[in-house]
Amino acid sequence: MDADIVCVGFGPATGGFLTTLSRGLAKSDGSPAFENRISPGSPLQVVCYERSDDLGYGVSGVVSRARSLKASFPNGEFSQLPFYSPVTEEKVLYLLDPGKASRRPSLMRAADAILKRLPGAVTDGAFALPYVPPYLHKKDGMVFSLGQFNQWVGSQLMASGLVQLWPGTPVARALFEDGKVVGIRLADQGVDKEGRPAAGFLPGMDIRAGLTVVGDGPVGPIGRQLDMHFGMPPGHAAYEWALGMKVVVDLPADTSLKAGTVLHTMGYPEPEIFGFLYVYPGNVATGGIFVPSWFDNPARTSYRYLQHWMQHPALWKHLKGASLRSWGAKSLQESGLRGEPYLVGNGFARIGEGSGSTNVLTNSGVDEAWETGAQLAEGVLELLREKKTFTKTDLEQTYVRRRRQSWVYREGQMAEKARDGFQKGFVQGVAGMLISGLTGGFLGWPGRPLAPYERIPSLADFYRGRLTEEEIDEIRKNCQLTGQSLHDALMDRVGWPPVELDGHLLVSHQDALLVGGKVQATPGFADHVVVLKPQLCKVCDRRLCVDMCSGQALGVAEDGEIRFDREKCVHCGACLWNCAKLIDALTGRSNLDFGAGAGGLHSAEN
Amino acid sequence: MELILLLAATDAEGNLGKPALGAATAAQALASALGGAKLVAGLFGARASQAAALLAGAGFEKALILESDALSQARYATDAAAGEALVKACGATLVVAPATSRIQRIIGGLAQRCGGKVDTHLTELTAEEGAPLATRWFYRQRMSGRLKRAQRPWFMTVEAGLYPPPAGSGSPAVEKVQAALPSTLTRVTGEKSPASGAQTIRPDADLLFVAGAGWCKKQADGRLHVPEAEKVILGFLEKTQSSLGGSKSVVDQSGEGTVLSFMSHLNQVGQTGSTPRHAKGLATCCHGEEPHTVGWRFVNERRAVNLNANCGWAQGKADVLYVADAFKVMERVNDLLGG
Amino acid sequence: MAFFHIVVCGGLVPDPLQTLEPVSGPAGWSLKNESLLPSILDPWAANALYEADALAKANPGSKVWLASAAPKVKLQQVLMALAQKAPFELLPVDAPAGGFTDAVECALALAGAVQSIEGLDRSRLLLFGGWESASRGAGATLSVLGEKLGLTEQFQGVDKLTVDGDGSLEILERVEGGKHQVSVLSSPPAVLGWATGGRAEPPNNPQIGMANMRALMPSLQKARAAKLPGDGLTLKSVSLPRQKRNTQVVKDMPVEQIAVEIVEWIKKKP
Repeated sequence: MDADIVCVGFGPATGGFLTTLSRGLAKSDGSPAFENRISPGSPLQVVCYERSDDLGYGVSGVVSRARSLKASFPNGEFSQLPFYSPVTEEKVLYLLDPGKASRRPSLMRAADAILKRLPGAVTDGAFALPYVPPYLHKKDGMVFSLGQFNQWVGSQLMASGLVQLWPGTPVARALFEDGKVVGIRLADQGVDKEGRPAAGFLPGMDIRAGLTVVGDGPVGPIGRQLDMHFGMPPGHAAYEWALGMKVVVDLPADTSLKAGTVLHTMGYPEPEIFGFLYVYPGNVATGGIFVPSWFDNPARTSYRYLQHWMQHPALWKHLKGASLRSWGAKSLQESGLRGEPYLVGNGFARIGEGSGSTNVLTNSGVDEAWETGAQLAEGVLELLREKKTFTKTDLEQTYVRRRRQSWVYREGQMAEKARDGFQKGFVQGVAGMLISGLTGGFLGWPGRPLAPYERIPSLADFYRGRLTEEEIDEIRKNCQLTGQSLHDALMDRVGWPPVELDGHLLVSHQDALLVGGKVQATPGFADHVVVLKPQLCKVCDRRLCVDMCSGQALGVAEDGEIRFDREKCVHCGACLWNCAKLIDALTGRSNLDFGAGAGGLHSAEN
Repeated sequence: MELILLLAATDAEGNLGKPALGAATAAQALASALGGAKLVAGLFGARASQAAALLAGAGFEKALILESDALSQARYATDAAAGEALVKACGATLVVAPATSRIQRIIGGLAQRCGGKVDTHLTELTAEEGAPLATRWFYRQRMSGRLKRAQRPWFMTVEAGLYPPPAGSGSPAVEKVQAALPSTLTRVTGEKSPASGAQTIRPDADLLFVAGAGWCKKQADGRLHVPEAEKVILGFLEKTQSSLGGSKSVVDQSGEGTVLSFMSHLNQVGQTGSTPRHAKGLATCCHGEEPHTVGWRFVNERRAVNLNANCGWAQGKADVLYVADAFKVMERVNDLLGG
Repeated sequence: MAFFHIVVCGGLVPDPLQTLEPVSGPAGWSLKNESLLPSILDPWAANALYEADALAKANPGSKVWLASAAPKVKLQQVLMALAQKAPFELLPVDAPAGGFTDAVECALALAGAVQSIEGLDRSRLLLFGGWESASRGAGATLSVLGEKLGLTEQFQGVDKLTVDGDGSLEILERVEGGKHQVSVLSSPPAVLGWATGGRAEPPNNPQIGMANMRALMPSLQKARAAKLPGDGLTLKSVSLPRQKRNTQVVKDMPVEQIAVEIVEWIKKKP
């Protein structure tokens, strides 16, 4: 099948692209501004395929300065979204350890001790920074639900009649011809879990297009396929990742939190874990944590830490009595410019987080993603008007030129070195961010990022001084016998208090999946998480993929192999960057392949 | 003054089923809440006269009877015509009927034919400020609403199992109604029971046994035990004559090869299934599935056997949650129930 | 084999996995954030659509329409998920789609759309829909609509339709006790309210989608509007069930003892 432009993935980047593009596709009298390349006379054919069942699923609390969004919607049309609120108050909280289990370096302990002695500095176990660093602030911004926003944008686009959006339609791979990308192939349908034809087999159709727009996000398979096919620009690699795990909650009726309140937290439950709480109108809030790839815990997890984070006194005073409405998780590509792939090539362009647009210094990604999409659309409209094709050179002169001249790139440069200090430690990391932020990215704390698989230590190294190797072995064996999570057992042993479930907010991990939404495992599609060399898993002593799996969809079978249960997968993509086994040094390919699968989490509230 | 018509069909033996008798009591309750509306019964079937006696004590002024051989079969064209004749014969303003498959087939069309409005699956009929007030579920039993209507005639079907049959003496007077029933292109040729042979849905059973997807999943030894699950479940159903319900997950698994052979979509309880009414419910291997919340809504006493003590779907929904392996528990239950 | 003109009527309902909460406003009762709740075609109606698709494929010359009363923006959202699955023409009615609307008003709005079909062969008409919806759940709309259109062969809770060699239709309807009533209808027109049916959800076929969409969006733009004001209907209150039980969690009890307790409980008269 042929189209003029085919887009992969519908998120904020593709939203920005299609919104901007569609405004240029019709003349003022409503007639098409451009023609279809195959059948002249008919309008330009623009299609977008999205793997998930709808455009608005997934939990997604966002705070954003929304500079690009406001430029696209100067009349603030999106302020009608139910969870929209302008930012009214913003604070950065440094969370002290209310217990003794958090691994705090000595410098941090010393700082904690000093803060505790300063009269009035610490309230509810937290120190509020006297001001929000200028690079981080969102004071002119807004909080909203990305799910609601995406859905609204999608409905605007559909109503225009100028583009087609097809959710529930995963893209399997890009099509290459003579070094060009000539379109995409959709996933096979009517296949069994291994991908073998079964009842109702419908082989994935080829959609050929003059331009393939890849906006499939940080763990998108088409973006990664292009990375492997074309390689990365010299010196570039996507080494830094994080897993964002979030909840949407009903706050207690008597909450003192006002809509538009934004809290950024750091320091607890582990120094490497940052958190956020954004307050929506109607006594609803979204909160969560980011567990980064440079948190060198070989049994790191997200859910348990999320529960400890929520119970920190500074947050618990707001969350006690709250109830869970929704839950979800997502990977973030945090390498920014250093993870930027080739943005364009013959027949294709990359936008959004998968193109390295997320900014870790300003803590912002949605607005940047939207802006890159809008920039591509402006470039594409320019090329259409000049009746040019989508060659690498043409796209460089239009899209890439715009991107390089924009605030997205400028701020990306500022952020480039900002997090290097975290390679050395938390204190160095925070200091490095501050230095980078205040010098406009000129200076930073030196540190060389490593690929996740290069830096995962052994459990013995991580727990040195707290647990002996014998103790770890015993815990591991016990876990294999009882089926308990290794990370839970280890955290229990080193003093993390047990989580007292209350059935409202503090619920078991499995119940979070049930109460917070429900995973749909659409039949007729192959499993999208595949172990490439099962024997490698058998000898793997890390198995972080299992511990970091947001939905407990990965487990270890009796034979030592990794088993995948699609009915629990929320498509967060954490397994991809938490695999400790490299199988191709050239491309950085790990032993777990994460493809585009249908279904996934329908969050109970987005 | 309102005139309430109880509209019901008699069965092959000329009797009224439990749902119809419950609807009679509901109509009586409505009349009394309205402070004395006129109450008339309208019964149709191949044989219907004798059924009037079953309404004794419910305050019916009279029973309109429409009998015809054409009504021995449950078909829209003839049933709707019969209903129309009965409604028009008495000039009913309120029509109360049981939510049986036979009535549900015609009630909407009948309301339209009589120029009225219709509400179905009602759970309570009462009055407020002298006007009828009906309660019903919305969004698959996820919320309940109370409503009034200004238009008449107002057609209402009442869910089964909520009102007891009438009790008392004094049969209503019988009055025959004649109607020319239309010809129809439909011929009922019979009934079909589920192909599996084992009849697993028993609406009149005291106990609803709900099987969750856990029965078809890998057990502690890492293996599937579907044949064993089938044996245990069928054994239990046979011994207790309880009705079988299943979660959406377990009925959807058909075709995956790990399916309970006797389970079909007809057994499904919950969001897109039924919400049956039974005195007791026992849910097994249902952790993380809906029956506790939706499928169980009309089950009075509820117990669950489940491996997860923190199951958020049993907590607050079940009376007792046994944290145990349902395979082992149910095997032992079957032993104790004897052969 | 003879063709069929199949009109599938289907409402839109919120994705059943979303949190639903009733709210009362100036326009009456609705769902909280109703306009932004992701919608799907009602599951029962979707079964009807897949059955219609299969029937149309098996009987060349047949045609399928989808008539739906819902806000335009919701309809287009649902079309995204649906239009790749089966070829159909859209008969849109721009109207409220919530569960609190009136069945008769909704049916009459749809009747206008069905009556507007050009070239509809009434003698081959099969009016399909769900036997209930997941919103109003009344099971009345389709029947009212059939009556309005003068269709007096109606079936509800249909799980199977077989076209016999003589052109007659064998229909299985759900009746009490987990059984099916078997009927033979000598010929259309007829109304069939579907229960589960027997068709799997068809795969997404981009070619069908692309072809469908060319006609669907223009017809959506021309949707006739209907208000469904709920004349004479007063919803006094709508509430979520609040009953919460004190669940007794029994841990560490031997299997034997649990079994004994359960057996005693089963044997106790309710």
